[in-house]
Amino acid sequence: MELDNAIRLTEIALGLAFTQQSIEHLKSTTHEKTLFIPRLILSLLLVAGFQTPWITLLLLAISLAMLIRFQGPYHGGADRMSLLIVSCLSLAHFAPTHYWREVAFGYLALQLLLSYFISGWVKIVNPEWRSGRALSDVFQFSAYPVSDALRQLAHSPRLLFTMSWAVILFELLFPLSLLSSTTLIIALFIAAAFHFANACLFGLNRFFWIWIAAYPSILWFQQRVMATF
Amino acid sequence: MTNIFKLLLPTLFPSWRFFDVIAPSPRIQYALLNAAGEITEEWQEFRPRPAHLPFKQMLQRMVWNPDWNESLFLTSCAERLLEKPTTHSEDEILNRIMADLRKTTAHNHLNTATQLQFRLQLIQRNGQTIEQEIVFYSRIQPIHKDEKRWS
Repeated sequence: MELDNAIRLTEIALGLAFTQQSIEHLKSTTHEKTLFIPRLILSLLLVAGFQTPWITLLLLAISLAMLIRFQGPYHGGADRMSLLIVSCLSLAHFAPTHYWREVAFGYLALQLLLSYFISGWVKIVNPEWRSGRALSDVFQFSAYPVSDALRQLAHSPRLLFTMSWAVILFELLFPLSLLSSTTLIIALFIAAAFHFANACLFGLNRFFWIWIAAYPSILWFQQRVMATF
Repeated sequence: MTNIFKLLLPTLFPSWRFFDVIAPSPRIQYALLNAAGEITEEWQEFRPRPAHLPFKQMLQRMVWNPDWNESLFLTSCAERLLEKPTTHSEDEILNRIMADLRKTTAHNHLNTATQLQFRLQLIQRNGQTIEQEIVFYSRIQPIHKDEKRWS
């Protein structure tokens, strides 16, 4: 995948993810609309491909305003990834040379890779995760399960043990998927399925859309890195 | 400017430590009060989750999930309150409970209530048991007449 194509695909996916997020905020009765109506319009312009360097920069400014408004991310990791993507896109657009453009966009790919690997690492070093207890606690008393019925899963230790190790191993082994474009595409499909499950079980829909928006960067990165060998 | 850098740096250099430990989990409970200094035992959980959520609704929530996302934000505010109390987090929770009550016709009590308060219940594992403890009471927030009028 060419760098320009990967950047354009990222812009479209980011614009769609931001559109979805912004529409949700229009329901709010607080003063959030002053931030999210302009964000919605800019997101649609980004999808349309209108003046994307400047639109990306304006979206970055709104993202910073959101950080101040909510005194941190509104939606934890999803907002962090959102800001990371829009920052890397802005840097890539205004980079002085092609080399720095690649560095800025490559940084996004690297962070995407780390988002899986580090998540796996912090779990495998934790005995509660290795035993399945941590995932049991997530279902039993965390704020995430979307219904009371899902809390019953806390009483299925074998299932949770298997699920815990499936997640840990997938996250830890994700970097190996960069060995070929085929393995990377398979890994990204599994990752997307993982985010989809999290969206269904824990209501984390924004993670699904925003992580997918970063996938073009790693598809480009894999080809760019492998081409050097 | 220092504040924006403090907020921005964890985003540009994220730790990605998702669910590294399963921390104690706060629940928001609120009460409508009729008089200053009233002590109530009628605490209600804010936006209790449904008993069951059909798969079709889970799919719908992939694209339209504002209430749940707002509830997750309020959980973050509750965690921030327990870590380092700020007026911002307290205001966010009070304002959004108030906005929610105004939208719900079931809360006729809102018409007579004069104040709103919330508290945080912390749920955590202690060995083999799950413990619940009240760890925070908000300030008592007067309910203004114009706020009731929107109900």
